[in-house]
Amino acid sequence: MVTLTTDVLVIGGGATGAGVAWDAALRGLEVVLVDRSDLAEGTSGRFHGLVHSGGRYAVKDPPAAEECVVENRVLRRIAADNIEDTGGFFVTTPWDDAGYADRFADACRATGIDCEEISPAQALREEPRLNPRVSRVFRVPDANIDVWKTVWSLARGARERGAHVMPYHAAVAVHRDGDEVTGARVRDMRTGEETDVRARVTVNAAGAWAGQIAELAGIEGVRILPGRGIMIAMNHRLVNTVINRCQMPTDGDILVPIRTVSVIGTTDEHTDDPDDHTVLQSEVDAMLDDGEKLVPGFRQARALRVWTGVRPLFEDAKAAETLTRDITRSHALLDHAQRDGVGGFLTITGGKLTTFRLMAEHTVDAACAQLGEPRACTTASEPLPGSETQRSYRLGERLERKEAHLREEQLICECEMVTRGALEEAIRRSRTANLDDIRRLLRLGMGPCQGGFCMYRAAGILHGLDGLGAEEANTALLEFLQERWKGIWPILYGDQLRQVRLDDWIFQGVLDVAHLSA
Amino acid sequence: MRRELHFDAVVIGAGTAGLTAGARLAEAGARVAVLTKGVGSTHLAPGTVDVLGYAPERVSEPGRALEDLVRSRVDHPYALVGRGCVVEALQWFGERVAAGPFPGYRYVGGLERNHLLPTAIGALRPSALIPETMAAGDCAAGGASAARVCVVGVRALRDFHPALCAANLERAGVDARSVELNLALDRADQNALGVARRFDDPGWRAWFCAELSPHLRGEERVGLPAMLGSTDPHGVWSDLGRRLGRPVFEIPTLPPSVPGMRLFEVLRSSLRAAGGRLILGAEVVGAERSGERVSSVQAHAAGEERRYLARWVVLATGGFASGAIELDSRWVTRERVLGLPVRGAPGADEPRFVSTYLDEQPLARAGVAVTGDLRAEGVENVLVAGAALPGAAAWREGSGEGIALATGFRAAEVVSEAEGARAGQPGRSEAVV
Repeated sequence: MVTLTTDVLVIGGGATGAGVAWDAALRGLEVVLVDRSDLAEGTSGRFHGLVHSGGRYAVKDPPAAEECVVENRVLRRIAADNIEDTGGFFVTTPWDDAGYADRFADACRATGIDCEEISPAQALREEPRLNPRVSRVFRVPDANIDVWKTVWSLARGARERGAHVMPYHAAVAVHRDGDEVTGARVRDMRTGEETDVRARVTVNAAGAWAGQIAELAGIEGVRILPGRGIMIAMNHRLVNTVINRCQMPTDGDILVPIRTVSVIGTTDEHTDDPDDHTVLQSEVDAMLDDGEKLVPGFRQARALRVWTGVRPLFEDAKAAETLTRDITRSHALLDHAQRDGVGGFLTITGGKLTTFRLMAEHTVDAACAQLGEPRACTTASEPLPGSETQRSYRLGERLERKEAHLREEQLICECEMVTRGALEEAIRRSRTANLDDIRRLLRLGMGPCQGGFCMYRAAGILHGLDGLGAEEANTALLEFLQERWKGIWPILYGDQLRQVRLDDWIFQGVLDVAHLSA
Repeated sequence: MRRELHFDAVVIGAGTAGLTAGARLAEAGARVAVLTKGVGSTHLAPGTVDVLGYAPERVSEPGRALEDLVRSRVDHPYALVGRGCVVEALQWFGERVAAGPFPGYRYVGGLERNHLLPTAIGALRPSALIPETMAAGDCAAGGASAARVCVVGVRALRDFHPALCAANLERAGVDARSVELNLALDRADQNALGVARRFDDPGWRAWFCAELSPHLRGEERVGLPAMLGSTDPHGVWSDLGRRLGRPVFEIPTLPPSVPGMRLFEVLRSSLRAAGGRLILGAEVVGAERSGERVSSVQAHAAGEERRYLARWVVLATGGFASGAIELDSRWVTRERVLGLPVRGAPGADEPRFVSTYLDEQPLARAGVAVTGDLRAEGVENVLVAGAALPGAAAWREGSGEGIALATGFRAAEVVSEAEGARAGQPGRSEAVV
């Protein structure tokens, strides 16, 4: 078995874990980052893409709102290339408590959220599809973020500073040496090969799965109450501004325009299993009804895909004073030396995407304290790779770039403007034959046809590269089709059903993939 | 003012079913208008006539398997028309291809045995009646040839990947290899139709063959993406065979389908030759009923609303793919053009889809409810043909074009029989037989 020795082992490659790896690498620490699956395949990659202004928490949870205010500004600086500055509205619809709007405005003022009330007429000029019956509208600095690109930028930045980033490596055992955690044994989920990682500090950034990792370390009572939420991506930018209902946060009250689609979310159902991806028809129905309240005619638009994300809501079975002092209600950092008398082990969970950098900062601060090597955090000012110019993403950039080389470069995915060169580079760079991983990397197959035209092309290109065989290309294609179907069938109606039938025509008719030789 | 036009029969939809019904009605002497929103499934499909490919195992003798299907699935479209009708329809189609707009172009095969044709990914797809340009690709035992297959692609054609195709053929037990030519084609992402237009030019063909020839070896047969000419497929295909000195065949790939467009042209020219009219860009938006009859349909065409009065309406609008049958966001299934009742859709509490993509989807067999002679339930003068019919799972069965052809053919026959009876003539008029 191969043994790696490092300062910090991070278990969990979501935004938080990748953020910890980036932060620690910037501070000059040696880092190994592992995830049982692809990076950002868990909760991080399964949200609506909203960078909160803080408005959502202004009334209910002011400290969380204040964190969002700060981190929103930081993210716009350090991850500019991944962020589109859409701005956001909080709107009072006929279904909302009219009294909430004034409380909201006061709470924004108190928490420092840059909030301006505009007339409904002005809001409708900017967003003509918005429900014309809104009575109050507040403008806030919401934005959207491409979370996959962000997590890959964090991982790339960490790598450039010497970190080992190991997707598809699951922690199968956490090493204990008396009262010290000394690392973990990780298994390559693709080959079964195991690697021993010896670490001075192990960070459990497994989010909704953090309780499972803590148990591997022999630590009881790290209870995560997974909250399952569904999100639906609609075929168009129904709006170009994030729309929030101006009410106490509840289900189906956010509509986020992101890239070529808009995403409505979400629900909150308790589940015992963080890998529970059930989508109930009642949830879909409720989400579509909520969409109608924000944008009349919502049900006529095409629903492209539904997915579930699992929030890691933390409940400590041990007394609250064992929590480190600087945490807020929004996330939890457990220093197990203080909590359980077990050194070299930290758990970071809870929180939200908008504050991932802050969570990472707190975690690496605690890791440095354990190592007895205070090192200053620089992530609030250091731009991520690709964001050095600090210019934010604009819709249409991909098209603009493509149009400049229309005749030289083969376009593989028309919906998301993915070129052959970009696809080949991504396959080579990530060393993956998994088209679903490629989808997250490039947005390949994420548009209206959901891979109908690009997936055969991608399988053909995969096959030619680096000696990949037909069997691997077939598997990649069939697995992609199945994975795609999981996110489609619960919301399949209207014109999207037509699209799927066209795709069936291609895959089951023209190509007859169901009868490829096994 | 709305314009009114009078016809004996109005066919809605210009896929294989609608064009077949229209051409056949026109040949029987009816004044026919085929109204269509746009071109139909032909431009997406491989251009073959698949009668029955899987039942559910791969079918080698479609005629025999069809008899079993007709007996075991009484609600299947084939059971409504019977095997004899399929035979007649295929025969009719073959004749129309021969008389069609492409000199020398013909289809080969029939119900005796299925060909096994390489798909663009290298699976082997069973099909009964196929363009001659695909025949040399047959990999069935006792098929055209046992010679090695050389799959040839052009890098600029992103919709065809010869190496993957050949590797999968090898896995299926077919001796195969591949060649990818890197030809300058103006732009980096051509589709099959763009390349097909190049093949129309003899000079370009000569150049192409000169580029390809040095890569060919021994007794190989050459598989090319289905792009051998847009106007003279027989001429282009024969010319390539001559120049390369070996059998050449086409492999269908992603839409737009060049052989499918030829099939469309064959049927369109049959319709026109018999005096029928094809009105493209005419979306039917409503219908008038009088009692148990549809007396007219309204269509948006050429910037105005027109009223088409007809004694008969053939609904050949397709299924969910065309949008003629819709599942709405409240999970209600309906027929959108004439508002006819739908049969075979799962109930409100039953699953519409299952979680495994390649399994049969419960919604797949939904369609417009019909009586035994293809008449829409509750409407005397509306006949239903093609994918709008319930009871088939065309992809899984490999039966789509066969059903379209046979039911389109039969729908016309039902009209002719009824008209013959009305005129006091024998059941089948001379023109029909």
